[in-house]
Amino acid sequence: MASIELNSVSRIYGSGASAVHAVKGIDLKIEDGEFMIFLGPSGCGKSTTLRMIAGLEPVSGGDLLIDGARVNDVDPAERDLAIVFQNYALYPHMTVRANMAFGLKLRGLPRSEIDTRIADVARVLSVEPLLNRRPAQLSGGQRQRVALGRALVREPRAFLLDEPLSNLDAKLRSVMRTELVKLHRKLGTTMVHVTHDQVEAMTMGTRICIMRGGEIVQVGRPQEVYRNPADTFVAGFLATPPMNLFPGRLEARGDSLVLVAEGAEIPVPAATAPGWGGHAGREVIIGLRPEHLAEAPEGPAPAALQLSVETVEALGPETILNLRLGRNGPEIAARLPADGDWEAGQPVTLHADTARLHLFDPATTRSIPRGAAHAL
Amino acid sequence: MRPKLAVLARHLVLAGFSAAIALPLLWVLRVSLTDKLTAYKLPPEIGQIGLHNYAEVLTQYDFGKWFGNSVAVAVAATLVSLPAAAMMAYASARYRTGGWPLLLGVLASQMIPPIVLVLPMFLVFMTLLPVPGLVAITIAHVAVNLPFMAWIMVSFFDADTRSLEEAARSDGASRWQAFRMITVPVAMPGIIAAGLLGFIMSWNEFLYALILGDHGSQTLAVGLASMETHAGVNIAPLAAATLLALAPVLVLLPFLQKYLIKGLSLGALK
Ligand SMILES: Nc1ncnc2c1ncn2[C@@H]1O[C@H](COP(=O)(O)OP(=O)(O)O)[C@@H](O)[C@H]1O
Ligand SMILES: [Mg+2]
Repeated sequence: MASIELNSVSRIYGSGASAVHAVKGIDLKIEDGEFMIFLGPSGCGKSTTLRMIAGLEPVSGGDLLIDGARVNDVDPAERDLAIVFQNYALYPHMTVRANMAFGLKLRGLPRSEIDTRIADVARVLSVEPLLNRRPAQLSGGQRQRVALGRALVREPRAFLLDEPLSNLDAKLRSVMRTELVKLHRKLGTTMVHVTHDQVEAMTMGTRICIMRGGEIVQVGRPQEVYRNPADTFVAGFLATPPMNLFPGRLEARGDSLVLVAEGAEIPVPAATAPGWGGHAGREVIIGLRPEHLAEAPEGPAPAALQLSVETVEALGPETILNLRLGRNGPEIAARLPADGDWEAGQPVTLHADTARLHLFDPATTRSIPRGAAHAL
Repeated sequence: MRPKLAVLARHLVLAGFSAAIALPLLWVLRVSLTDKLTAYKLPPEIGQIGLHNYAEVLTQYDFGKWFGNSVAVAVAATLVSLPAAAMMAYASARYRTGGWPLLLGVLASQMIPPIVLVLPMFLVFMTLLPVPGLVAITIAHVAVNLPFMAWIMVSFFDADTRSLEEAARSDGASRWQAFRMITVPVAMPGIIAAGLLGFIMSWNEFLYALILGDHGSQTLAVGLASMETHAGVNIAPLAAATLLALAPVLVLLPFLQKYLIKGLSLGALK
């Protein structure tokens, strides 16, 4: 069990003109027992951060603390953390059993203890029939389980998982998502899980840490981040389809605020967004989630939008419409129940739940907070 | 049918190449089984065949001693250079020690004709390192073969074994334990291939063995050459001796091929 703390931790690869600043002084505290997700696009520094925690990558600047003790210069072998790699990194010349026993033998555990632990974990992960096989004789899903098992038998202070599910097919991935969450609940051990898959991020973690370009953009519980994205990057990254983002202008008309965009005027009762008053008269980026558009008025402050259907994606339980706002407005997506019957080219009226609208500052891309009265 | 024709054409080309390579060897085999007079006849004749040349080589010459010297030199040179080359390859692959200039330098050094290095090498052993012939030859072979063996092994220590080692380090292994218990066994086919190659290079080497050795330390390559005296070439026993000298290499080659291929396909094991 361990808490992990990063204080202005940075990592620079190389030096001089060719130096790559992969992690740019990030601050983060992962609490003991937490399931923390590192989410971000490829190359944003997730793996580098995880590898620094594991001790496989030197820390270029800042302090890394495990359970309050600075571990910047502690050998990976001494950190008592288990890492699961994307490519599993199973020892090809050893059987599954020997793979699992490797770390325990190094620690000098007695044979009987090693056998018990392997038997327990093998049962939990259903890899008992595979114990005498070699990695080359396993399927991808089986290798993934064995890699996980090798980490589990260690009973480490924390698990570090670097995209462990990304090489699995969709079905197996969703099974393993659930299993990992169950495992975490059962063990209560700190887990840090790296992924670029926002479904994993939303469903697995107790908190998500969203990274971009070597920096942390936002940290929070999944619902929190979903409800209040800190900037357009987070808004456009989480959920599929992501939040619709299009340019507009915030105008004050008497007591009311109106968002004017190409092809639409959306009234926003000023009382629902006291924080926005100060931005009247300015250009903004409007953020509207596809699921906050509905055929019938919904929420405390709905606003009707005139749209035309461009494409229809019937997914079964729901339908995604790609629509044009007004005649020449921006293209936006809507997520609707599947029972509608739409065709390309058809005009539709949808109601936006303006209580769930977001505004972003076009200059900084940061969210403009609604202020105290923000009701969800 | 077209595909069959294409296959036939390909086999004809390959058969041609194989014949070009095999012909000299077959010629030597023929000579080794006949006598001196028949050997030079054109067009070639098979004549009276027998094993008398082999008997002559084994009884009239120091063949046994040459063979023993060659075995001693090649085995010693390989045993000394292989671990060192493995560690050098590891350092280059894992820590980029020396960077690409070192690797390029190693490759470039292989392109220098050995004759260029022989004289300096001779002076070194004359003045700085006056050791017995067999030891001098062994050291020379280590010096010449080690960089090349390391160069061959670099690719076996690359990316794949790196993440395995990281896994081992997290599992609690020290650098040395990870190298010994994970990296070396996984890269073993490559290490064996490099060792076999080093052995064969040492076995076949002539120039250093000639210059650095004395009468007691003649290796097979030098001994065979000495069968060519100013009194003439004793061609038939020489052919027999050549084939006998070739035998160990022929035995090793299939293994070399097997391990090279096994090593090269290591990546598939991931
Ligand atoms: N060994 C390395 N040398 C140089 N640059 C690297 C190295 N490893 C990663 N990088 C760079 O650091 C950045 C972050 O990489 P990484 O942490 O692997 O990203 P992620 O896991 O989020 O996809 C990328 O720009 C990548 O190119
Ligand atoms: Mg990564």
